[in-house]
Amino acid sequence: MKKILSLLVLFALILGPCRPGATENLQSIIDEAEEGATIELENKTYEGNIVIDKPLKLIGADKTVIRGDATGNVISVRAEGVTLSNFEVENGSMNRNSSEEYAAIKVYTNGNTLEHLLIQNSFHGIYLSQAHENTIDHVQVIGSGDGEIAGQGNGLHIYYSNKNTLSNNEIEGTRDGMFFDYADGNVVLNNQISKTRYGLHFMYSNENEFKNNIFTFNTGGAAIMHSNGLKLEENEFIFNYGHRSFGILLLSANDNSIENNTFRMNQRGIYIDQSTRNLIRGNHIFQNQIGVELWASSNDQVFTENLIDENTLPAVTLGGTGNHFWSKDGKGNNWGNDFALLDLDQNGIGDTPATYQSSLYELIEDQELTYLFLKSPAITVYEKMNELLNNSKIMFEDEHPLTSNTGKQSLLWPALLLAGGLLFFYKIKSLRK
Amino acid sequence: MNYIWKEWKESLRSKGLWLSLGIIIIVSLLMLSRSSGLGVDQGFYILVVNLFESLIYFIPILCLFLGAFSIFQEKEQKTLVMLLTRQESTLSFLFKKSLAIQSVLIAPVFIWFFIYLIPLKFFFAIPFSHYFLFLAALIGFMLVFTQLGVFIGSISRSRMQITGIAIVIWFYFFFLHDFALLSVLSNVTHDNVQLFSIAYFLNPIQAIRMFLESSLGLYSFGNMSRLLESFMWLSPTMFFTLNLIFWLGLSFAGAVMLHRKEGFE
Repeated sequence: MKKILSLLVLFALILGPCRPGATENLQSIIDEAEEGATIELENKTYEGNIVIDKPLKLIGADKTVIRGDATGNVISVRAEGVTLSNFEVENGSMNRNSSEEYAAIKVYTNGNTLEHLLIQNSFHGIYLSQAHENTIDHVQVIGSGDGEIAGQGNGLHIYYSNKNTLSNNEIEGTRDGMFFDYADGNVVLNNQISKTRYGLHFMYSNENEFKNNIFTFNTGGAAIMHSNGLKLEENEFIFNYGHRSFGILLLSANDNSIENNTFRMNQRGIYIDQSTRNLIRGNHIFQNQIGVELWASSNDQVFTENLIDENTLPAVTLGGTGNHFWSKDGKGNNWGNDFALLDLDQNGIGDTPATYQSSLYELIEDQELTYLFLKSPAITVYEKMNELLNNSKIMFEDEHPLTSNTGKQSLLWPALLLAGGLLFFYKIKSLRK
Repeated sequence: MNYIWKEWKESLRSKGLWLSLGIIIIVSLLMLSRSSGLGVDQGFYILVVNLFESLIYFIPILCLFLGAFSIFQEKEQKTLVMLLTRQESTLSFLFKKSLAIQSVLIAPVFIWFFIYLIPLKFFFAIPFSHYFLFLAALIGFMLVFTQLGVFIGSISRSRMQITGIAIVIWFYFFFLHDFALLSVLSNVTHDNVQLFSIAYFLNPIQAIRMFLESSLGLYSFGNMSRLLESFMWLSPTMFFTLNLIFWLGLSFAGAVMLHRKEGFE
């Protein structure tokens, strides 16, 4: 009897229990597939983690999910020419004590395509590790959106990886939306990044191009640090609004070109520190609390053909006066209604320079709580009073300010004046009763 | 209920309520026309913030005047004396009258901003919970300044006095309070920042703005410095609530204690 029982136990140990959809199922399908094969996944959840070590296409159906076991990368791509398309990836490792930073999808090779994917519940979304010429398109990464910054990974983490194309992706609630570390020559188009720490974060990454991306509700829209030769065009930086937030930060970043972008309702539209020779042209910088904040350690920025309007402070220079150019080839910036300019020869350039003075620079330099007052109507009184008392300092002088009409005159102030007039009329009438 | 009904009928006859509502409607429609070209997702938030920033120019002064004149009208028409000599104490009269004024002022604004949702729906994706937070901020704003208006009406003896005090109070909250804080800002250290924080959030404009922007998720308090952490020693919602309680309580108590029955002109 004992022998029979022992045999039964032995059989039980050898045969069962069998997990439904076990790891080896998808991994074995991949292992058995020939190079260049297309694997069409079913409408079900596959258990990871998986490693792809041969070129193939992995195509999901509407509800295909690949779920990791939370011990590492859910999908590791170790072969070139792999395509991952149309499925959800979840449950990567969140372990921060490991020597490796884990991701939902980690790519170690070149020339792969990752498209139409949804990634959630993982540390990093997609991690390109020394992987070049890959395409990441229509990928949605959803982060935890809260908790300590160190506990969250980045949406797309690009590490020592060059010439990749990242387009049409949506990233929300991660640490940084896209983090570039020693990554050059990448092209980033039409992405939407919101509710992150920095929408874009560059470290030591040069010659990258950004176009048509939208950055909203981040602590900082784009933080460009120690990176040169970037092109940022037609991006929108909106509502990066917290205390000391910014649309774009240039820190030790030189020779970058920032053209035709929109910076709207940020705490600071453009914030430049320790940076030189950046070209800021044709941008629409408006309704920010500070349009442009320049620290003295920066030099030789060129501002031309920008529309800088309706900011509480259009531009401030802090920590001393750096040497910057507020016009190029005889074209300055359009300062909207901030300056009353005459253009008697009607050449679109003001007849006198636009000079802006402010007394707030000292408070901003010394006391971070000053930012809490930038929306207060008292700021105007404070500035005017200090101007009268000669406590102001010149922040910038645009020798060739543009006077051309923006074509979009605000109806608000005429309406406010009308409303105020009506109120005054009513009060006068009621006093006469 | 009688008070509310009486207040409503008086407001219908007078032009003040309709003028105020008209201004709010014009400003909100203009802001909408200005924002209609914005993105579906961000446009709503840009509109709400800009609308709030515009309305803070009007709502305080309108509420101050309407609250004050409503009380003063009782003095002028001698109905106050009749009420107080017959069945009401000053406290109960002012309490009921405050409730009536607040209801009559807030209800039309509330209804208008419900109607306002219809055109809004055409242009933007509207997170309704956030819209209600905007309304809560607006109503909080009206409550404080209307109650301050009641206080002015209660202590004043003439229309000229009302006009003067209302303008001084508006000017104080709008300019002087922040101006005074800006003047001492350079002396704020980690040791006295909580005191400074109390003074900052005593201004209903700042407390309500901070409540609105943080509860809409626009103003983030992540990665704060030690100084700012000490400054924000309560949540913006708590600052808003305490500000409301403080000003409603103080102005009502002031209205009761410094009440003057007689009015002339």
